[in-house]
Amino acid sequence: MSGGVLHVDEAGKFFMADDGMQARLDADELDDGDVAFLTRTGHLRRPGLQTHAATFAAARRRCTAGPLDYLILVPTLRCNLACSYCQVSRADVGSRGHDWSEKTIDAVLAIVRGLDVRAVKIEFQGGEPTLRPDLIRRIMDAVPSDVDATFVVCTNLQEVGSEVLSIFDREDVQISTSLDGAAATHERQRTGAVDRTDLFLCNLDFLLDRYGPGKISALPTIDPASPPSASELIEAFSSRGLHSIYLRPINYQGFARKRHPHARDLNADWRSYHEEFVRTLIARNWADHTVVLEESYFSLLLRRIFRPGQDRHVDLRNPNPVGRDYVVIDHDGQVYPTDEARMLTRSGVIDLAIGDVERGWDTPERAALDAASTNDGDPHCEACAYKPFCGRDLVDDVARYGRVDLPRPETEFCRRHLHLFDLAFELIHSEDEAVLFSLRRWLGLAGDDVRLAVPR
Amino acid sequence: MIPLALAASSDSEAPFVTRLAGSEGNGAGDSRCIASSSEESLWSGPHGLLRIEHPREAVSGDVVLVRPAEGRLDRLLRSGSRHNSLLVTEQCDQLCVMCSQPPKKTHDDRFDLLRDACLLADAGMTIGITGGEPTLHRERLLDMIEDVLAARPDLSFHVLTNAQHFRREDVFRLRRPEYVKVVWGVPLYSADPLTHDRIVGKIGAYERLIDGFAHLMLAGARIELRTVLTRTTVEGIVDLADMVARDLAHVEQWSLMGLENIGFARNRWSELHVDLRDGFEPVGHALDVATLRGVRARLFNVPLCHVPEPFRHAAVASISDWKQRFGEACSTCRARSACSGFFEWHPPALLEEVTPL
Repeated sequence: MSGGVLHVDEAGKFFMADDGMQARLDADELDDGDVAFLTRTGHLRRPGLQTHAATFAAARRRCTAGPLDYLILVPTLRCNLACSYCQVSRADVGSRGHDWSEKTIDAVLAIVRGLDVRAVKIEFQGGEPTLRPDLIRRIMDAVPSDVDATFVVCTNLQEVGSEVLSIFDREDVQISTSLDGAAATHERQRTGAVDRTDLFLCNLDFLLDRYGPGKISALPTIDPASPPSASELIEAFSSRGLHSIYLRPINYQGFARKRHPHARDLNADWRSYHEEFVRTLIARNWADHTVVLEESYFSLLLRRIFRPGQDRHVDLRNPNPVGRDYVVIDHDGQVYPTDEARMLTRSGVIDLAIGDVERGWDTPERAALDAASTNDGDPHCEACAYKPFCGRDLVDDVARYGRVDLPRPETEFCRRHLHLFDLAFELIHSEDEAVLFSLRRWLGLAGDDVRLAVPR
Repeated sequence: MIPLALAASSDSEAPFVTRLAGSEGNGAGDSRCIASSSEESLWSGPHGLLRIEHPREAVSGDVVLVRPAEGRLDRLLRSGSRHNSLLVTEQCDQLCVMCSQPPKKTHDDRFDLLRDACLLADAGMTIGITGGEPTLHRERLLDMIEDVLAARPDLSFHVLTNAQHFRREDVFRLRRPEYVKVVWGVPLYSADPLTHDRIVGKIGAYERLIDGFAHLMLAGARIELRTVLTRTTVEGIVDLADMVARDLAHVEQWSLMGLENIGFARNRWSELHVDLRDGFEPVGHALDVATLRGVRARLFNVPLCHVPEPFRHAAVASISDWKQRFGEACSTCRARSACSGFFEWHPPALLEEVTPL
C-alpha cells in the first residue's frame, strides 16, 4: 500500500512498516526502536500472559456457532408485488398452496417452543409475510417466556392493515423494508406504477412518523448497470431520518438470473460505485457533524478489522458454520442454510435444502456444505493479509459459478472484499481528519483521540 | 444509610448464622418471627430466642450473623439487595494508597459461619467476597466456594482479589465447573510496573499480578478488571488501555472506578482526587481504545454530569443503595435514577459540584 507494507497477524493485529522498517525486517536487522514498537503492539511477546493472550486472540478470530438463535421464516411465498429482480420465484397473491400447511405450522411451532437460548431473533420473510398476520402471531406466541425474542418483519409496505399495524406496534418488533432510492428509481425497480409507489412511500412515512426511525430499517437494492447517484440515495434515506444505508447489489438469484444477467459479474463498476458512495458519506458527515450516515456493510468490515467476534453477520465469517445458529424455513417446510440457498433452489439451479421441519437438518447435506464452508487451508486465503477479517460465502460461489472450488481471486466475492479491505486500510491510514471522523463514528467511538493506524 | 449492624441479644453463647424468615420459615437455619413492634422484633430458631432492636419488616429475609457476646448482629446478606459482600479477612499483603478498607494484622477465621450464611442465601443471589485479601486464606476460601456451589448451584460469587497468590497448580482446580459461577475482581493500576507497585505498596506486585493473570487465563477464569481513577492512574490510563486491549482482552469487563473518600484516601484526597469535569480527556481516550478493541469498559462511581455526553453510556449507576448520596441540586435532575450519585462519605464540600441534567 502507499505508505508502506501492511503486516497482519493471525489475530488480525496489524501495523504498517515504512520502507526503512520493511528493509530491516527483510534483512532481519531490527533496531531497538523496531523492537520496542513491535513489543508495544503485541507482535513480539513475552512468555506467559502475552503468549496466552495472542493464542486467545487468534482463536477468537474463528467463528464458533452457538445453538439456534436466529430463524428466518417464510410463512407464505405469495406477494402483492413482482419486482424485476425478485430474489425468489414468488407466487401471485391469490394463488393457493404457497402458505404453510397446518402440518408445517405445527412443526415450526414445535421448533420455536423448543428454543433453548437466552435471546432469539426471528425474521419473517416472503413472499410478503404481512399477508398472513395470523401466522406471525402464532409464532410470536410460541416463543418460551424465558427467551428474549426480537422479531423482524420484512415487508414491502404496500398494505398496512390494522392487524399488521397491531403487530408493528409491539416493542419487540422491528420493520425491515426496501427503499431503492428516489421515487422514480423505486418505481422502476419495484412497484412499476405510480399509485403503488405512492402507497409504499405513504406507508413508510406514516410508520416513520408513528415510531421514529429506530424501529425501521430500509435497504436499497442496487442495479449495478444503472445505479442511482450516491446523492439521490443519501437524500432518500437521510431525509427520512434513516442513517444506515446498506448497499445491496442485485443478487444473482431468482428472476435476476434472467432479467439481469450482467449481475453475475458485479465487476469494477460496482466496486467503484461502492467506494464512491463511502467517500461521499465521509464528505457529507464532515460537512454536517450533527448527523452521521453510514454504509452498513463498510462499517461491518471496519468493526471486523478491529474487533474479534463480530460474527453475527452470517454472510461474512470464517469458518461459516452451516445450519447451526441460524436456518431458513421455507413456505413448504424445507430448511435452508441461508436465504440465498433457498432462492437458488427455488430457481431450479441446485437443491441446497439441508432438511425439513419434520426430519430436522442434522443431515449429510448439511455436513457436506459445512465441510467446505471455510477459508482455512485455501492457499490464496492463507496468503491473504485480510483473512482474519474476511469470510466464506459458499452459496454465492455456487450461484455465480456452479462450483465452490474456483481459485478464490477469480470469484466476485474475493474481488469485492479485497477491494473493500484495501479501501478500509487506505482510510484507516489516512491523516485526513474528515476521513477519521467518519471512521471513528462508524466504529462506535465517542471521542476523536484514538489513532486507528498503527505506524512505526 | 441502611444500617448493616443492629443491636441484638440471644440465648445462645456462641456466634451463629440464621435467616430471619418472617412467619413461615421452617428451613434448617431459619428463625421465625414471633412478635414485632415498631422498635424491636423477637425471633425463634434453632439457636433459641433472638431479640433484635429493629422492626420485623426491615430485616425480614436477611441472613444475619449473631454475636451474642457483643450484643449485636451483622446483616450479612440483605434480602433483595444486589450489593451483599462478605468480609473474609482483614489481612492484606498490599497497602494501596487509596485503600478503602485498610488492613489489619490479625485474622479472625469466620469461614464456617460465612459458608452457613451463603447456604441460606436467596435463590440466584450473587455474593461478594472482599477483604483484606481473601486469597491469603486460599484453601479455606476455595473450599468454601466449592462447598457452597455444590449445594447451591443457583448462587454466584464475585471475589475481590489482588491475584498475587494463584499458583500454576491452582489452574486445574480453578477449571472445575463450579468456577463458571465465580468472577474474580482484580485491580490493575498501570501498565508501568514501577507505578503499579508504588500504588499498591508492594515491590514486585506487578510481575506477580501478570503471573496471576496468566494462571487465571489458563483456568478460563472470569475476570473483572478494576482501576481506581486517581491522579497517577489517570495519567497512565491510555497506556493501560493499550495494554488491556493487547494482553487482557479476555476480561469480562474493565471497570474504571471513581475514588472513594474513605480509608487511606480520606487523608490523601487532594493528592489523589481527579476532577473529571475538566480532566476527562484521557479517561475518554481509554474508553475509546477499549471500545475499538471490543473490551467492555465501564465507569463506576462517577456522577453522570461529570461525564461528557458522548461517554455517558459507559457510566453505571453503581453506588450501593446503603451508601449512596446526592447533592441538593440533584433533586431537579432528570437523570438521577440512572446516576451513581456520590458515596455517603464523599467530601461534603464537593457534593454540590453537580449540574442537573
